[in-house]
Amino acid sequence: MPTAQAEEGALAGCRVLEISHLAAAVAGKVLADLGADVVKIEPRGGEPARTAEPAHVDGGGQRHGLNFLAFNLGKRSVTLDLDSEAGREILARLARTADIVLVDWERIGDPAEADRLREICTRDNPALVWCEIWPYGRGEHESTLATELTLQAQGGHLNLNGEIDRPPVRISAPVATAQSGAEAASAALMAYYHAVRTGEGQRVDVSVQACVVWTLLNTTMTWQCLAVDEVRGGSVKKERGNTFFTRLVWPCRDGFIQFGPVGGGGGAVREQSYATLVDWMRQEGHYRPILEAHDWNGQGRFDIPQQAYDEVTEAIGDFIRTRTLAELIEHGMKRRILLAPVYSIPQLLAAEQLVARNFFRRVEDDRRDATALHPGPFAVLSRTPLAAPRPAPVTGADTVRVLAELGFTGDDIDRLAAAEAV
Amino acid sequence: MTERIDQGIFAGLKVLDFTWAAAGPIVTKQFSDNGAEVIKIESKTHPDSVRLGGPFFEAKPGINRSGFFADFNSSKKSVAVDMRSDEGRDLVRRLVSWADIVADNFRPGVLTRWGLGHDVLQEINPRAILLSSSLYGEDGPWATLAGFGAQGAAVAGIHGLTGWPDLPPALPKGAYTDSVSPRYAMAAVTAALIHRERTGHGQRIELSQVETTVGILAAQLLQWQLTGREPVRSANREPGRRLHAVLPCAGEDNWIAVDVRTDAEWRGLCDVLARLGGVDLAAKLSAVEAIARAEEVEELVAGVTAGADRFELMDRLQEAGVPAGVVLKGSDLLADPRLRSRGHFWALDHAEMGTLDYNGPAYRFEKTPSRLTSAAPLIGEHTDEVMREVLGLDDDTIARLRADGVLQ
Repeated sequence: MPTAQAEEGALAGCRVLEISHLAAAVAGKVLADLGADVVKIEPRGGEPARTAEPAHVDGGGQRHGLNFLAFNLGKRSVTLDLDSEAGREILARLARTADIVLVDWERIGDPAEADRLREICTRDNPALVWCEIWPYGRGEHESTLATELTLQAQGGHLNLNGEIDRPPVRISAPVATAQSGAEAASAALMAYYHAVRTGEGQRVDVSVQACVVWTLLNTTMTWQCLAVDEVRGGSVKKERGNTFFTRLVWPCRDGFIQFGPVGGGGGAVREQSYATLVDWMRQEGHYRPILEAHDWNGQGRFDIPQQAYDEVTEAIGDFIRTRTLAELIEHGMKRRILLAPVYSIPQLLAAEQLVARNFFRRVEDDRRDATALHPGPFAVLSRTPLAAPRPAPVTGADTVRVLAELGFTGDDIDRLAAAEAV
Repeated sequence: MTERIDQGIFAGLKVLDFTWAAAGPIVTKQFSDNGAEVIKIESKTHPDSVRLGGPFFEAKPGINRSGFFADFNSSKKSVAVDMRSDEGRDLVRRLVSWADIVADNFRPGVLTRWGLGHDVLQEINPRAILLSSSLYGEDGPWATLAGFGAQGAAVAGIHGLTGWPDLPPALPKGAYTDSVSPRYAMAAVTAALIHRERTGHGQRIELSQVETTVGILAAQLLQWQLTGREPVRSANREPGRRLHAVLPCAGEDNWIAVDVRTDAEWRGLCDVLARLGGVDLAAKLSAVEAIARAEEVEELVAGVTAGADRFELMDRLQEAGVPAGVVLKGSDLLADPRLRSRGHFWALDHAEMGTLDYNGPAYRFEKTPSRLTSAAPLIGEHTDEVMREVLGLDDDTIARLRADGVLQ
């Protein structure tokens, strides 16, 4: 049996070029975490993401985009003027040494520009994986204008969040863009696996809209199976194609919990969770007959009137309101009641489970006054551990080194710099 | 050449699939829809729980009638075997020897109780890549707690960022960690396959669905630590935008999302509104004033959009250079020209559910296209086939194992 001794990262020896704003940067970070040498290609002065809002301002008054700081750990940076002949020639040389190129629509803007760059990069490297992220993928609708908000809408997710008597709402973070980046990382690696085995490279394109559709889980099937369009609810909604409303976010003494005690789905685990809740309420003197008036999670749940669901919700809600988050975790969650705390961002950083697993990692970035805890490795690979995080690179920090690796001499580099190609 | 292309990137790869619910099956679906042979292990006493959850086809519950289950299990085979029996576990161990990848998303400890912990699996098949995806990860005080993606999304911070600032958090649609974690799991497994291709070594992969989801909120964690401003749910308001809103359109519960970032986009919006409703927004407010008076702008714009057809309005705004998107409902998605032009949905025929549109992948390979080859399997649909063709059992043995309840 092979020894358990750690080897290099799983993608050691794989070189990735990244021309990004946010989506491709998220993809590049996944590949960097897995051990690839990810080289950002930036214009002189740095890519726009470096100063994009929301931003952190350092002691010297310099703005740093938070998404940039978050998703560019462990990468190198080369500045290259892709509008100049010489810059494009260097890109072609660099691409000969690369395995994967990642680009996104926010940085590239125009599909035709993506095609021009792709032609340069693949000319002498037929095994190259060229991965693009566009709001609607490549094809007929590749030029439809989109932003995070419109994409959460067009993927069908936004429609299903928020109160029924107000407009539907987004998730207040660029999650559609980030999800498309993670998807692009996996798709690019699938194509790279193929290239490693056959020597055949290809274009891969990812649709952000389709990535959002995949966050719904059952909405398109609900329409097809039941001819029902799911409707949104804030903390009370029709769960998973149910015909009745149940409460799923509950106020407790010092916050909120997520909990679906009644209404089924989840089989035996959910039935056991409910039984444990009823026992707990009984012990604490909160028992009411409505708690056992119906088989709330059985197959007959569709025949229970809404009024009964409302009544059992009131009984359970009255109980939960008397408990703190800590009590609900200790006496509920840890006894297999299927509930969970609704964490705010500050609470998340102190979450018992994440702290115990040493998930958050401190990344020293004093140059930007940006030393902070970052999310740690997204997975544990027993033989090829994920890379330890290094702060995002300074603009062009690796230009000279990378050009030297390509065989450019010091004189060549001076000449290119004078011509403002690098 | 043609044949290989038709088979997909993972043609020839073998996946033994213990996954259930959503987070696991969505990973193994990427393999089956790209040519791998994926064998899903279930039993009639303990089927994939999602088989028991709606939506059921035509609202009739049944173990083979869940649309929820169907979408995540295209192109897979189902073997029903009683894992509580020694013989059942022995058959499964033989399938471990056959597999390149073994995937599960049980709570930590469940496979070990069946005598199939990772140590055992590695001993049976050192070249295999073993993926365990669980809600909270394999250690820590919450490791063995029960939970689904809805709990995961709450813990990971997604709930807290969804909804109105004056109301409790709104439940975000979907079990959000179930859609984030598969993308990361897929990247990890594929990287491990590439590593195996180069070194011959398999390995174990352990992943927490909550942690992968916290990962996409990395910038929000930095915002709180570096700026002291807590990221909170802010409905659809975004600071610095001329307009960033979801606005009513004609009809019942119809909406459009509009995002106006630049002066040029603001002029485009003003032009469209002037033509639609005779409202001269540009005369009332400059683009700069709009930023500070979000509520007023939204009210003015909504007054015009409320009478407009949502799809026509999207086209007009797009033509005027304004990012806009109809807020699509489930039925709209199935008819959406953008998803349709991409071939996002695959019509697949199923013995009990007829022909339904299944969601295909969000990526497109130029040379090695993905292909959904069959609808979700009936429970145990491929038990005999797998026993015969993969394990080489003869018909008499299969009949005996069936009579003993080992095979179902």
